[in-house]
Amino acid sequence: MATAIPTRPFGRHADVRVSALGFGGHHLGDAADEATAVRLVREAIDAGVTFFDNCWEYHRGKSEIWMGKALEGRRDEVFLMTKACTHGREARLGLEMLEQSLRRLRTDHLDLWQIHGVCFENDPALFIRPNGAAEALRKAKDDGKVRFVGFTGHKDPAIHLAMLDTGFPFDAVQMPLNPFDASFKSFERQVLPALAARGIAALGMKPFVGKGEAVQAGTLSAEEALRYAMSLPVATTITGIDKPEVLAQNVGIAQGLAPMSDAEMDALRARCRADAADGRFELYKLSLKYDNPEARTAHGFPIDRQQAEVKELLTATENTGHPFPPSDG
Amino acid sequence: MADATVPHRPLGTTGLTVSALGLGGYHLGSADSQTQAAEIVARAMDAGVNFFDNAWEYHDGKAEAWLGAALKGMRDRAVVMTKVCTHGRGKDVAMRMLEESLRRLRTDHVDVWQVHEVIYESDPDLIFAPNGVAEALTLAKSQGKARCVGFTGHKDPSIHLRVLAHDFPFDTVQMPLNCLDATFRSFETQVLPEAARRGVAVLGMKSMGGSGEIVKHGAATPAEALRYAMSLPVATTISGVESPDRLAQNLAVARGFTPMSPDEMQALRERCRPLAADGRAELFKTTKLYDAAIGRAQHHFPPPEELPL
Repeated sequence: MATAIPTRPFGRHADVRVSALGFGGHHLGDAADEATAVRLVREAIDAGVTFFDNCWEYHRGKSEIWMGKALEGRRDEVFLMTKACTHGREARLGLEMLEQSLRRLRTDHLDLWQIHGVCFENDPALFIRPNGAAEALRKAKDDGKVRFVGFTGHKDPAIHLAMLDTGFPFDAVQMPLNPFDASFKSFERQVLPALAARGIAALGMKPFVGKGEAVQAGTLSAEEALRYAMSLPVATTITGIDKPEVLAQNVGIAQGLAPMSDAEMDALRARCRADAADGRFELYKLSLKYDNPEARTAHGFPIDRQQAEVKELLTATENTGHPFPPSDG
Repeated sequence: MADATVPHRPLGTTGLTVSALGLGGYHLGSADSQTQAAEIVARAMDAGVNFFDNAWEYHDGKAEAWLGAALKGMRDRAVVMTKVCTHGRGKDVAMRMLEESLRRLRTDHVDVWQVHEVIYESDPDLIFAPNGVAEALTLAKSQGKARCVGFTGHKDPSIHLRVLAHDFPFDTVQMPLNCLDATFRSFETQVLPEAARRGVAVLGMKSMGGSGEIVKHGAATPAEALRYAMSLPVATTISGVESPDRLAQNLAVARGFTPMSPDEMQALRERCRPLAADGRAELFKTTKLYDAAIGRAQHHFPPPEELPL
């Protein structure tokens, strides 16, 4: 008999609790079809998942639309997060994206709204400038359209720390957390303590280290990877779910989770350290090729349309490279 | 100011003084011929350049051998730096490399001996492991074979800071410093103040972005880029020179050098910010293109050609 997925306090808002396993919205758009996606979301709720992640630009809105359909009649059972893709642009654009996200998700409010993809060195300055996205977060909260606000990024702990240094009162911050991270440009070592000091809810992502190459290479098992991430001082660990077997695997690990001991975590970090030190397993921190073409375009950075990864992304998302406005979902 | 010479600055607290422009050894090994390399060295010295950079592994020893030959009879007027390429290995390997470097450079001591290419997150631990290269630095200094010791790397300020945090008595630290760096993973804003606090002399490099990217993208002229780097609080700015023309271009800035004002520097940083912010013009920080294959092998990383970067 399976036990429940544990819940955890949401940062300084300790009366709010979220499931220790979070349902990643990008992979939901990779599900075989809408019916599968709807079933995955509802089965996850039945299994005790309450934290649902999404983003305005995932699959050109498909991820939000499918999740919105799945949550019909069950919206109150979940803690719903989506992200705005301002990528350095102004508050007004963020608020337009919010309205679109709310329509797609079939709700009048979000539990958490985050700035997506904070990855460039000038993002903190662009965020906090007059008319920057910080003002959208404030206004959305004042208008009661979002309960909490935050930001996310996968690139560099220094950029996360610079965002915190803007002084903006974030409720949540999302980042890659896994046993490789501990030894390479580490969010765990640099950002987690800063969040704890400020009472900000930490949201982990990429528990399987990028696309799971280290698991495939046999350095660690999927269970070790997910247990490690969930044993850190985080509110939730977001992981992508696109198939019933992936849902079953992750729910199985999360139900009745026994956190790793400090010694177990140390041993796993040590096992991964030699492979982690040049960052080749965490390319999202390193390579320009892993930058989101939408974000690069919005910043005025060139994209290489001949690059395989860019071609893939442009095709997969029917993305023109010009981020807004798209057709409404 | 064709007659003015290149100004000299103290090399931290070492008692040495060095020219504000240093001659990069890698590019010296790319000169057309040994004769041309010797001509570059002689002309540089005539203009007041006395700081000469090199590394044990540049061009498989040719860069050191050419510099050694070019300095014949002038060794006492030069501040010679070379680097030890242990790439994570220990003291014994380092001391063998030092002997080879001294032979090639035709000298009984180097003025500055630095640990080369400190660029991996595991490097701080490897340097200070028992029998690690830090012990070689201490030994070489006590034997009089190296007057000053330091380290260099082009990857990430956080790695430099972790090495400095070991409180080892480094005399020098080398790092990329240019008008883009202040905006992206910045050595200027993060490491320069820490080096100053510790009294460690700073050697700047990659003033043009590694391979001239700053100039190629039109963000600054070569003269602006070099003036910016030389205006920072550094002992010297090492610039690679493989031809007499390139030397003349650098000397035009360095002779009778006048630093940029803080306002000028800020204006140039601002102008470069759009090019700088994603790191595409500082590829030594963002790709493997500047990481030596031998260094990856010594760290047991797969070779660069297997990487998707």
